[in-house]
Amino acid sequence: MAERLTVVVVDDHSIFRSGLRADLDESIDVVGEADDVESAIAVVTTRRPDVVLLDVHLPGGSSAGTSGGAEVLQRLASAMPGTRFLALSVSDSAEDVVGVIRAGARGYITKGSSGSDVSRAVHAVADGDAVFSPRLAGFVLDAFGAAVGETAATDEELDRLSAREQEVMRLIARGYAYKEVASTLFISIKTVETHVSSVLRKLQLSSRHELTAWATARKLL
Amino acid sequence: MSASTAPRLVRERDCLVAGVAGGLAEHLGWSVRVVRIAFVITGLVWGAGVLLYLWLWAFTPWRQATDAGDEPVTRRAPVSWLLAAGAGLFALATMALVWRGGSSTSEVALCLLATVVCAAGAGAWASLIDRPDPARGRRTEQGVRAVASLTLLVVAVFFASGTVTGVTGLVASLVALVGIGLVFAPALVRVWRDLEAERIGRIRDEQRNEMAAHLHDSVLQTLALIQNRAGASSEAGRLARAQERELRSWLYAGDTPADSDLATDLRDFAAALELDYPVHIDVVAVGTSTERASGELAAAAREAMLNAARHAGGEVSVYIEGSSRAVEVFVRDRGTGFDLARVAGDRLGVRQSIIGRMRRAGGSASVSPGAGGGTEVHLRFDTEPARG
Repeated sequence: MAERLTVVVVDDHSIFRSGLRADLDESIDVVGEADDVESAIAVVTTRRPDVVLLDVHLPGGSSAGTSGGAEVLQRLASAMPGTRFLALSVSDSAEDVVGVIRAGARGYITKGSSGSDVSRAVHAVADGDAVFSPRLAGFVLDAFGAAVGETAATDEELDRLSAREQEVMRLIARGYAYKEVASTLFISIKTVETHVSSVLRKLQLSSRHELTAWATARKLL
Repeated sequence: MSASTAPRLVRERDCLVAGVAGGLAEHLGWSVRVVRIAFVITGLVWGAGVLLYLWLWAFTPWRQATDAGDEPVTRRAPVSWLLAAGAGLFALATMALVWRGGSSTSEVALCLLATVVCAAGAGAWASLIDRPDPARGRRTEQGVRAVASLTLLVVAVFFASGTVTGVTGLVASLVALVGIGLVFAPALVRVWRDLEAERIGRIRDEQRNEMAAHLHDSVLQTLALIQNRAGASSEAGRLARAQERELRSWLYAGDTPADSDLATDLRDFAAALELDYPVHIDVVAVGTSTERASGELAAAAREAMLNAARHAGGEVSVYIEGSSRAVEVFVRDRGTGFDLARVAGDRLGVRQSIIGRMRRAGGSASVSPGAGGGTEVHLRFDTEPARG
């Protein structure tokens, strides 16, 4: 965690932005702020930060029905491979979570998270890892039918989770940190991160009905 | 005769046609048959009995239902069918008069009018009175309406096919067609009223969604901010969190599944605990749980959550997974942890209310130290006996 990271905070509540700026630890530099879709795109393209902290519900979206955060992601994510996006929201409804992840966010945390949690998540995302909250892990298990016993036969399968991925997601849903997941399953932290990233990839690419239904509810497809 | 001893004049909900004669008989202490005969005889005297009947019908209330809800009115006489049969008879009479020839236009017109009135009456009775009647309902309504309109259609075709030449035949045919419209009018009115009600409901939903979106963007954000700034376990943070939960459940009332399922119950319990203890409980539920909230599993889970809140505090994770074979609940805290073997034998909390309770109910429970410190309680309840 020694490396310094640059971050842009995008949120329409200035009080939240300043609060977050004060809470992030000193290894993270906030190099810009934005409060709507257009200014977010302008600031992010000029500053080119390592990580963008992006509010899901952002005003100024051009198309009705799409959440502002998802629109920013759609317009920037593919153009800026060096920048990672971490979604922030007060909501933890399935449409919001699945929507921004499918639009390209590397992770999702709620606004109730503490400053140190957010800082840790920023570092994880900057390293190319995915950030899953217990609740997101629960959604994933539900959406991929893990609870009813659907298991992928091969690693390449996009519409179901492998047995190992299910174990990892279950432990995260039970409130385990990556380190604890690793020690419980007798695997390395790096392996846990690999599993989580692969779940994230499935979440973004899968055409499972539950996921596409949630995404269409947010008009993302 | 003293009026105070006589039963009140009310109409029974289970009646023949309208409950007038029955009610009056009870009120006067006569037999129902006598009252009916009296109505018929006085009815022959310039319709006095008919008027009295209608007047009583309009002004006598239904008997009050015994318990809170009004039970529906049910009638033994198939009035709508009788009216439809009447329409059929008058239709036959009309056609017979024309067929035989020699009757005046006014006679035929009167007969035709009676057909239309009977048919429209049958339609109205079926739509307005029979439909809510549990003994008849929708099928009767559709049947009566079909018979009445078919009768009128036959009459209309009969007049239009040239049996009566000239304008008179056309007018008669038109009258019959208008009658068909009258048969369906009450149903159309109801459809229109339903549409209107649905439109109003939609507008209300839209307004509610708009308000929800607004509150979501303003108040919920602020509440999240307060929790964030004040810390999860401080008094202000707890109050803000409780308020947030309350507002959220009100805003998204339609999204939450029916109460009394395990996940909803444990969420409510978590909300209550957060008010009483400096604790932040995250409840994650996966799969469809058919487990009832009143079951032993829920009781044991609540006990485990209470323990975690009381002794550990801070962050507590609750994870519920329901599959077709088993329901599992994990309650995980990050407190100092404890060793079950070293707990004094007289402390019954964990042993009795969690482990013992689950064993008695045919499930299993284990308490173990969590991977990164703290304690994890694992409850498992098989919904069907394990094979092998």
